[in-house]
Amino acid sequence: MEQTILHAARFIGAGLAMIGALGGGIGIGLSAQGAVQGIARNPDAAGTVQTNMILGIAFSEAVAIYCLVIALLILFV
Amino acid sequence: MADTKNEASNKKGNWKKELGIVLLVTGVLGAIGWYFFPPIMPHVQLAAEPVSHTIFASKWFGEEGFTITNTLTAMFLVDLVVLALVFAVQKAVKSGDLVPRGISGAFEALIEAIYNLSESTAGKWTADIFPYFATFFIIVLIANYMELLPGVDSIGWLAKVAPNAHGYAARGALLVKEPGHYTVVPWVRVLSTDLNFTLALALVSVTMTQVIGVKALGLPYFGKFFNIKALFTVKPFWMGLIDFFVSLLEIISELAKIISFSFRLFGNLFAGSVMLFVIGFLVPIWFQSAVLLLEAFVGVIQALVFGLLTLMFMSLATHPHGGEHEEAHA
Repeated sequence: MEQTILHAARFIGAGLAMIGALGGGIGIGLSAQGAVQGIARNPDAAGTVQTNMILGIAFSEAVAIYCLVIALLILFV
Repeated sequence: MADTKNEASNKKGNWKKELGIVLLVTGVLGAIGWYFFPPIMPHVQLAAEPVSHTIFASKWFGEEGFTITNTLTAMFLVDLVVLALVFAVQKAVKSGDLVPRGISGAFEALIEAIYNLSESTAGKWTADIFPYFATFFIIVLIANYMELLPGVDSIGWLAKVAPNAHGYAARGALLVKEPGHYTVVPWVRVLSTDLNFTLALALVSVTMTQVIGVKALGLPYFGKFFNIKALFTVKPFWMGLIDFFVSLLEIISELAKIISFSFRLFGNLFAGSVMLFVIGFLVPIWFQSAVLLLEAFVGVIQALVFGLLTLMFMSLATHPHGGEHEEAHA
Protein backbone atom coordinates (compact mmCIF):
# COMPACT_ATOMS: atom_id res chain seq x y z
CA MET A 1 0.00 0.00 0.00
CA GLU A 2 2.70 2.40 1.06
CA GLN A 3 4.68 1.49 -2.05
CA THR A 4 1.69 2.21 -4.26
CA ILE A 5 1.11 5.62 -2.70
CA LEU A 6 4.81 6.41 -3.11
CA HIS A 7 4.64 5.36 -6.73
CA ALA A 8 1.59 7.53 -7.40
CA ALA A 9 3.16 10.48 -5.61
CA ARG A 10 6.24 10.12 -7.80
CA PHE A 11 4.22 10.40 -10.97
CA ILE A 12 2.27 13.38 -9.62
CA GLY A 13 5.47 15.10 -8.58
CA ALA A 14 7.11 14.53 -11.94
CA GLY A 15 4.05 15.92 -13.71
CA LEU A 16 4.02 18.98 -11.46
CA ALA A 17 7.72 19.55 -12.02
CA MET A 18 7.15 19.76 -15.76
CA ILE A 19 4.86 22.79 -15.36
CA GLY A 20 8.03 24.84 -15.43
CA ALA A 21 8.49 23.89 -19.08
CA LEU A 22 5.75 26.46 -19.76
CA GLY A 23 8.20 29.30 -19.24
CA GLY A 24 10.78 27.75 -21.54
CA GLY A 25 8.15 27.31 -24.26
CA ILE A 26 7.04 30.93 -24.02
CA GLY A 27 10.65 32.11 -24.08
CA ILE A 28 11.52 30.07 -27.16
CA GLY A 29 8.41 31.31 -28.94
CA LEU A 30 9.20 34.93 -28.16
CA SER A 31 12.82 34.69 -29.29
CA ALA A 32 11.82 32.96 -32.54
CA GLN A 33 9.20 35.67 -33.09
CA GLY A 34 11.75 38.42 -32.62
CA ALA A 35 14.26 36.72 -34.89
CA VAL A 36 11.74 36.18 -37.69
CA GLN A 37 10.63 39.81 -37.51
CA GLY A 38 14.25 40.93 -37.61
CA ILE A 39 15.01 38.73 -40.61
CA ALA A 40 11.89 39.95 -42.40
CA ARG A 41 13.01 43.55 -42.00
CA ASN A 42 16.65 42.95 -42.76
CA PRO A 43 17.17 39.71 -44.70
CA ASP A 44 20.91 40.38 -45.07
CA ALA A 45 21.40 39.95 -41.33
CA ALA A 46 19.80 36.50 -41.35
CA GLY A 47 23.03 34.70 -40.43
CA THR A 48 23.86 36.69 -37.31
CA VAL A 49 20.24 36.87 -36.22
CA GLN A 50 19.97 33.12 -36.54
CA THR A 51 23.10 32.47 -34.47
CA ASN A 52 21.91 34.78 -31.72
CA MET A 53 18.45 33.27 -31.86
CA ILE A 54 19.86 29.78 -31.34
CA LEU A 55 21.86 31.09 -28.38
CA GLY A 56 18.77 32.70 -26.86
CA ILE A 57 16.75 29.57 -27.45
CA ALA A 58 19.43 27.52 -25.73
CA PHE A 59 19.25 29.81 -22.71
CA SER A 60 15.49 29.65 -22.34
CA GLU A 61 15.42 25.97 -23.21
CA ALA A 62 17.83 25.30 -20.38
CA VAL A 63 15.12 26.31 -17.89
CA ALA A 64 12.74 23.75 -19.33
CA ILE A 65 15.53 21.18 -19.30
CA TYR A 66 16.09 21.78 -15.57
CA CYS A 67 12.45 20.89 -15.01
CA LEU A 68 12.89 17.80 -17.13
CA VAL A 69 15.98 16.76 -15.16
CA ILE A 70 14.09 17.23 -11.89
CA ALA A 71 11.18 15.17 -13.23
CA LEU A 72 13.55 12.42 -14.38
CA LEU A 73 15.31 12.48 -11.01
CA ILE A 74 11.97 12.07 -9.24
CA LEU A 75 10.95 9.23 -11.52
CA PHE A 76 14.10 7.18 -11.85
CA VAL A 77 16.30 7.75 -8.82
CA MET B 1 12.32 16.58 -74.65
CA ALA B 2 9.13 14.68 -74.02
CA ASP B 3 11.19 11.53 -73.77
CA THR B 4 13.46 12.85 -71.03
CA LYS B 5 10.51 14.21 -69.12
CA ASN B 6 8.82 10.88 -69.36
CA GLU B 7 12.00 9.17 -68.20
CA ALA B 8 12.35 11.53 -65.27
CA SER B 9 8.79 10.95 -64.15
CA ASN B 10 9.39 7.25 -64.59
CA LYS B 11 12.45 7.48 -62.37
CA LYS B 12 10.49 9.41 -59.80
CA GLY B 13 7.77 6.79 -59.89
CA ASN B 14 10.38 4.07 -59.38
CA TRP B 15 11.84 5.93 -56.46
CA LYS B 16 8.44 6.14 -54.81
CA LYS B 17 7.80 2.49 -55.50
CA GLU B 18 11.13 1.50 -53.94
CA LEU B 19 10.38 3.55 -50.85
CA GLY B 20 7.00 1.85 -50.60
CA ILE B 21 8.61 -1.57 -50.86
CA VAL B 22 11.19 -0.71 -48.19
CA LEU B 23 8.48 0.60 -45.87
CA LEU B 24 6.38 -2.49 -46.45
CA VAL B 25 9.26 -4.92 -45.83
CA THR B 26 10.44 -3.14 -42.68
CA GLY B 27 6.84 -2.91 -41.48
CA VAL B 28 6.24 -6.62 -41.98
CA LEU B 29 9.55 -7.52 -40.32
CA GLY B 30 8.75 -5.17 -37.45
CA ALA B 31 5.31 -6.70 -37.05
CA ILE B 32 6.81 -10.22 -36.97
CA GLY B 33 9.36 -9.14 -34.38
CA TRP B 34 6.64 -7.41 -32.44
CA TYR B 35 4.55 -10.59 -32.44
CA PHE B 36 7.27 -12.96 -31.28
CA PHE B 37 9.23 -10.64 -29.00
CA PRO B 38 6.75 -8.05 -27.77
CA PRO B 39 8.53 -4.83 -26.76
CA ILE B 40 8.78 -4.16 -23.06
CA MET B 41 8.96 -0.97 -21.09
CA PRO B 42 12.69 -0.74 -20.47
CA HIS B 43 14.32 -0.17 -17.15
CA VAL B 44 15.54 3.42 -17.07
CA GLN B 45 18.45 4.28 -14.84
CA LEU B 46 19.97 7.70 -14.42
CA ALA B 47 23.42 6.73 -13.18
CA ALA B 48 25.76 4.84 -15.48
CA GLU B 49 25.74 1.08 -14.89
CA PRO B 50 28.92 -0.86 -14.19
CA VAL B 51 29.68 -3.45 -16.87
CA SER B 52 32.90 -4.98 -15.58
CA HIS B 53 34.05 -6.80 -12.49
CA THR B 54 35.79 -4.80 -9.86
CA ILE B 55 39.29 -3.87 -10.87
CA PHE B 56 42.22 -2.41 -8.96
CA ALA B 57 40.78 -3.50 -5.62
CA SER B 58 43.82 -3.05 -3.44
CA LYS B 59 45.31 -1.18 -0.52
CA TRP B 60 45.95 1.92 -2.61
CA PHE B 61 42.70 2.19 -4.54
CA GLY B 62 40.41 1.14 -1.71
CA GLU B 63 38.84 -2.23 -1.00
CA GLU B 64 35.92 -1.54 -3.34
CA GLY B 65 38.15 -0.72 -6.26
CA PHE B 66 36.69 0.56 -9.50
CA THR B 67 34.27 -0.75 -12.06
CA ILE B 68 34.17 0.21 -15.71
CA THR B 69 30.81 1.81 -16.45
CA ASN B 70 29.12 1.68 -19.82
CA THR B 71 29.60 5.40 -20.37
CA LEU B 72 33.32 4.94 -19.76
CA THR B 73 33.51 2.46 -22.63
CA ALA B 74 31.67 5.07 -24.71
CA MET B 75 34.33 7.60 -23.69
CA PHE B 76 37.05 5.24 -24.93
CA LEU B 77 35.17 4.78 -28.21
CA VAL B 78 34.82 8.55 -28.66
CA ASP B 79 38.53 8.97 -27.99
CA LEU B 80 39.32 6.29 -30.57
CA VAL B 81 37.11 7.98 -33.17
CA VAL B 82 38.70 11.38 -32.51
CA LEU B 83 42.20 9.88 -32.73
CA ALA B 84 41.31 8.12 -35.99
CA LEU B 85 40.04 11.39 -37.42
CA VAL B 86 43.20 13.16 -36.28
CA PHE B 87 45.46 10.62 -37.98
CA ALA B 88 43.37 10.61 -41.16
CA VAL B 89 43.51 14.40 -41.44
CA GLN B 90 47.19 14.50 -40.52
CA LYS B 91 47.99 11.97 -43.21
CA ALA B 92 46.07 14.01 -45.77
CA VAL B 93 47.83 17.21 -44.74
CA LYS B 94 51.29 15.58 -44.80
CA SER B 95 50.72 14.12 -48.27
CA GLY B 96 51.06 17.64 -49.66
CA ASP B 97 47.89 17.29 -51.68
CA LEU B 98 46.47 20.79 -51.97
CA VAL B 99 42.96 19.58 -52.73
CA PRO B 100 41.55 17.89 -49.64
CA ARG B 101 39.44 14.83 -50.33
CA GLY B 102 37.13 12.63 -48.30
CA ILE B 103 37.39 13.05 -44.56
CA SER B 104 39.99 15.79 -44.69
CA GLY B 105 37.84 17.77 -47.12
CA ALA B 106 34.84 17.51 -44.83
CA PHE B 107 37.00 18.54 -41.92
CA GLU B 108 38.37 21.54 -43.78
CA ALA B 109 34.83 22.73 -44.52
CA LEU B 110 33.81 22.23 -40.88
CA ILE B 111 36.86 23.97 -39.45
CA GLU B 112 36.53 26.85 -41.90
CA ALA B 113 32.90 27.39 -40.96
CA ILE B 114 33.43 27.36 -37.21
CA TYR B 115 36.68 29.36 -37.49
CA ASN B 116 34.88 32.16 -39.32
CA LEU B 117 32.15 32.05 -36.69
CA SER B 118 34.63 32.37 -33.84
CA GLU B 119 36.59 35.09 -35.64
CA SER B 120 33.49 37.22 -35.99
CA THR B 121 32.82 36.89 -32.25
CA ALA B 122 36.23 36.73 -30.62
CA GLY B 123 38.15 39.19 -32.79
CA LYS B 124 41.85 39.28 -31.96
CA TRP B 125 41.54 36.60 -29.29
CA THR B 126 40.49 33.97 -31.85
CA ALA B 127 43.79 32.10 -31.59
CA ASP B 128 43.24 31.61 -27.85
CA ILE B 129 39.54 30.84 -27.88
CA PHE B 130 39.04 28.83 -31.05
CA PRO B 131 40.73 25.60 -29.81
CA TYR B 132 38.26 25.27 -26.92
CA PHE B 133 35.29 25.95 -29.17
CA ALA B 134 36.41 23.42 -31.78
CA THR B 135 37.34 20.76 -29.20
CA PHE B 136 34.03 21.01 -27.37
CA PHE B 137 32.09 21.01 -30.61
CA ILE B 138 33.81 17.98 -32.11
CA ILE B 139 33.91 15.83 -28.98
CA VAL B 140 30.30 16.57 -28.02
CA LEU B 141 29.15 15.99 -31.58
CA ILE B 142 30.82 12.58 -31.77
CA ALA B 143 29.56 11.68 -28.28
CA ASN B 144 26.00 12.63 -29.23
CA TYR B 145 26.03 10.92 -32.60
CA MET B 146 26.97 7.64 -30.97
CA GLU B 147 23.26 7.42 -30.18
CA LEU B 148 22.58 6.77 -33.87
CA LEU B 149 24.73 3.62 -34.02
CA PRO B 150 22.83 0.34 -33.79
CA GLY B 151 23.89 -1.71 -30.77
CA VAL B 152 24.54 1.28 -28.54
CA ASP B 153 22.10 1.22 -25.61
CA SER B 154 20.75 -2.17 -26.69
CA ILE B 155 23.44 -4.90 -26.52
CA GLY B 156 24.83 -5.96 -23.19
CA TRP B 157 24.70 -8.22 -20.15
CA LEU B 158 21.51 -9.30 -18.45
CA ALA B 159 21.23 -8.06 -14.91
CA LYS B 160 18.66 -8.98 -12.30
CA VAL B 161 16.43 -6.15 -11.10
CA ALA B 162 13.75 -5.78 -8.44
CA PRO B 163 10.55 -7.70 -9.25
CA ASN B 164 8.38 -4.60 -9.60
CA ALA B 165 10.81 -2.84 -11.93
CA HIS B 166 10.40 -2.74 -15.68
CA GLY B 167 12.36 -5.32 -17.63
CA TYR B 168 12.13 -8.74 -19.25
CA ALA B 169 10.46 -11.51 -17.36
CA ALA B 170 12.85 -14.44 -17.49
CA ARG B 171 12.05 -16.89 -20.27
CA GLY B 172 13.75 -19.90 -21.74
CA ALA B 173 14.86 -17.88 -24.72
CA LEU B 174 16.80 -15.54 -22.49
CA LEU B 175 19.11 -18.32 -21.25
CA VAL B 176 19.00 -17.31 -17.63
CA LYS B 177 19.59 -19.71 -14.78
CA GLU B 178 17.08 -18.45 -12.23
CA PRO B 179 13.65 -16.93 -12.79
CA GLY B 180 13.00 -13.29 -12.04
CA HIS B 181 13.04 -9.91 -13.67
CA TYR B 182 15.98 -9.03 -15.84
CA THR B 183 17.13 -5.94 -17.63
CA VAL B 184 19.78 -5.32 -20.25
CA VAL B 185 22.82 -3.44 -19.04
CA PRO B 186 24.25 -2.14 -22.32
CA TRP B 187 27.99 -2.33 -22.91
CA VAL B 188 27.97 1.11 -24.47
CA ARG B 189 25.65 3.91 -23.41
CA VAL B 190 25.53 7.36 -24.96
CA LEU B 191 28.31 9.35 -23.35
CA SER B 192 26.37 12.56 -22.82
CA THR B 193 23.79 10.76 -20.68
CA ASP B 194 26.34 10.63 -17.89
CA LEU B 195 26.34 13.76 -15.75
CA ASN B 196 30.03 13.24 -14.93
CA PHE B 197 31.03 13.82 -18.55
CA THR B 198 29.00 16.99 -19.03
CA LEU B 199 30.05 18.32 -15.65
CA ALA B 200 33.71 17.76 -16.54
CA LEU B 201 33.28 19.64 -19.82
CA ALA B 202 31.46 22.48 -18.03
CA LEU B 203 34.22 22.75 -15.43
CA VAL B 204 36.87 22.92 -18.13
CA SER B 205 34.88 25.54 -20.02
CA VAL B 206 34.21 27.84 -17.05
CA THR B 207 37.73 27.48 -15.61
CA MET B 208 39.39 28.28 -18.91
CA THR B 209 37.07 31.29 -19.30
CA GLN B 210 38.64 32.74 -16.16
CA VAL B 211 42.13 31.89 -17.42
CA ILE B 212 41.51 33.62 -20.73
CA GLY B 213 39.99 36.61 -18.94
CA VAL B 214 43.10 37.00 -16.80
CA LYS B 215 45.30 36.56 -19.86
CA ALA B 216 43.43 39.32 -21.70
CA LEU B 217 42.95 41.86 -18.92
CA GLY B 218 45.43 40.89 -16.23
CA LEU B 219 44.46 41.22 -12.59
CA PRO B 220 41.79 43.90 -13.28
CA TYR B 221 39.71 41.01 -14.62
CA PHE B 222 38.76 40.18 -11.04
CA GLY B 223 37.29 43.68 -10.72
CA LYS B 224 34.31 42.08 -12.39
CA PHE B 225 33.73 39.98 -9.26
CA PHE B 226 34.99 42.37 -6.55
CA ASN B 227 34.17 45.85 -7.79
CA ILE B 228 36.16 47.70 -5.13
CA LYS B 229 36.77 50.58 -7.52
CA ALA B 230 33.07 51.49 -7.47
CA LEU B 231 33.23 51.93 -3.68
CA PHE B 232 35.55 54.91 -4.11
CA THR B 233 34.66 56.41 -7.48
CA VAL B 234 30.84 56.31 -7.64
CA LYS B 235 29.62 59.56 -6.08
CA PRO B 236 26.85 58.80 -3.59
CA PHE B 237 28.58 56.21 -1.42
CA TRP B 238 25.58 53.88 -1.16
CA MET B 239 25.31 53.69 -4.97
CA GLY B 240 28.89 52.45 -5.04
CA LEU B 241 27.98 49.95 -2.33
CA ILE B 242 25.16 48.65 -4.51
CA ASP B 243 27.56 48.33 -7.44
CA PHE B 244 29.90 46.34 -5.22
CA PHE B 245 27.20 43.88 -4.21
CA VAL B 246 26.03 43.54 -7.81
CA SER B 247 29.59 42.59 -8.73
CA LEU B 248 29.48 39.92 -6.02
CA LEU B 249 26.46 38.47 -7.79
CA GLU B 250 28.67 37.88 -10.83
CA ILE B 251 30.39 35.10 -8.86
CA ILE B 252 27.06 33.32 -8.47
CA SER B 253 26.29 33.76 -12.15
CA GLU B 254 29.68 32.25 -12.93
CA LEU B 255 28.88 29.23 -10.76
CA ALA B 256 25.42 28.95 -12.31
CA LYS B 257 27.12 28.62 -15.70
CA ILE B 258 28.61 25.29 -14.60
CA ILE B 259 25.18 23.97 -13.68
CA SER B 260 23.49 25.29 -16.79
CA PHE B 261 26.20 23.94 -19.12
CA SER B 262 26.18 20.47 -17.62
CA PHE B 263 22.42 20.11 -17.13
CA ARG B 264 21.58 21.41 -20.60
CA LEU B 265 23.61 18.80 -22.44
CA PHE B 266 22.81 16.01 -19.99
CA GLY B 267 19.08 16.76 -19.91
CA ASN B 268 18.70 16.98 -23.67
CA LEU B 269 20.52 13.76 -24.42
CA PHE B 270 19.12 11.74 -21.52
CA ALA B 271 15.59 12.83 -22.35
CA GLY B 272 16.26 11.88 -25.98
CA SER B 273 17.43 8.41 -24.94
CA VAL B 274 14.41 7.85 -22.69
CA MET B 275 12.12 9.06 -25.46
CA LEU B 276 13.70 6.57 -27.87
CA PHE B 277 13.11 3.69 -25.43
CA VAL B 278 9.55 4.68 -24.69
CA ILE B 279 8.63 5.29 -28.33
CA GLY B 280 10.10 1.88 -29.16
CA PHE B 281 7.80 0.41 -26.53
CA LEU B 282 4.67 2.28 -27.64
CA VAL B 283 5.02 2.24 -31.45
CA PRO B 284 7.44 -0.53 -32.39
CA ILE B 285 7.23 -0.01 -36.16
CA TRP B 286 8.76 2.91 -38.16
CA PHE B 287 8.19 5.66 -35.66
CA GLN B 288 11.46 5.20 -33.81
CA SER B 289 13.33 6.10 -37.00
CA ALA B 290 11.58 9.48 -37.10
CA VAL B 291 12.59 10.09 -33.48
CA LEU B 292 16.17 9.11 -34.40
CA LEU B 293 16.10 11.83 -37.07
CA LEU B 294 15.03 14.33 -34.42
CA GLU B 295 17.85 13.08 -32.19
CA ALA B 296 20.36 13.68 -34.99
CA PHE B 297 19.17 17.28 -35.12
CA VAL B 298 19.27 17.70 -31.34
CA GLY B 299 22.75 16.18 -31.21
CA VAL B 300 24.30 18.67 -33.60
CA ILE B 301 22.39 21.65 -32.11
CA GLN B 302 23.50 20.80 -28.57
CA ALA B 303 27.11 20.35 -29.65
CA LEU B 304 26.97 23.71 -31.43
CA VAL B 305 25.32 25.40 -28.46
CA PHE B 306 27.92 24.05 -26.03
CA GLY B 307 30.76 25.29 -28.21
CA LEU B 308 29.06 28.57 -29.06
CA LEU B 309 28.29 29.43 -25.43
CA THR B 310 31.90 28.71 -24.49
CA LEU B 311 32.96 31.01 -27.29
CA MET B 312 30.57 33.75 -26.19
CA PHE B 313 31.56 33.61 -22.52
CA MET B 314 35.25 33.54 -23.34
CA SER B 315 35.03 36.51 -25.68
CA LEU B 316 32.91 38.35 -23.09
CA ALA B 317 35.68 37.72 -20.56
CA THR B 318 38.25 39.37 -22.84
CA HIS B 319 36.30 42.63 -22.94
CA PRO B 320 37.12 45.10 -20.17
CA HIS B 321 34.33 45.57 -17.66
CA GLY B 322 33.72 49.22 -18.53
CA GLY B 323 31.07 51.82 -17.79
CA GLU B 324 28.22 50.40 -19.83
CA HIS B 325 26.37 47.48 -18.32
CA GLU B 326 25.46 45.40 -21.31
CA GLU B 327 26.00 41.84 -20.15
CA ALA B 328 22.81 40.13 -19.10
CA HIS B 329 23.66 36.46 -19.34
CA ALA B 330 22.56 33.92 -16.83
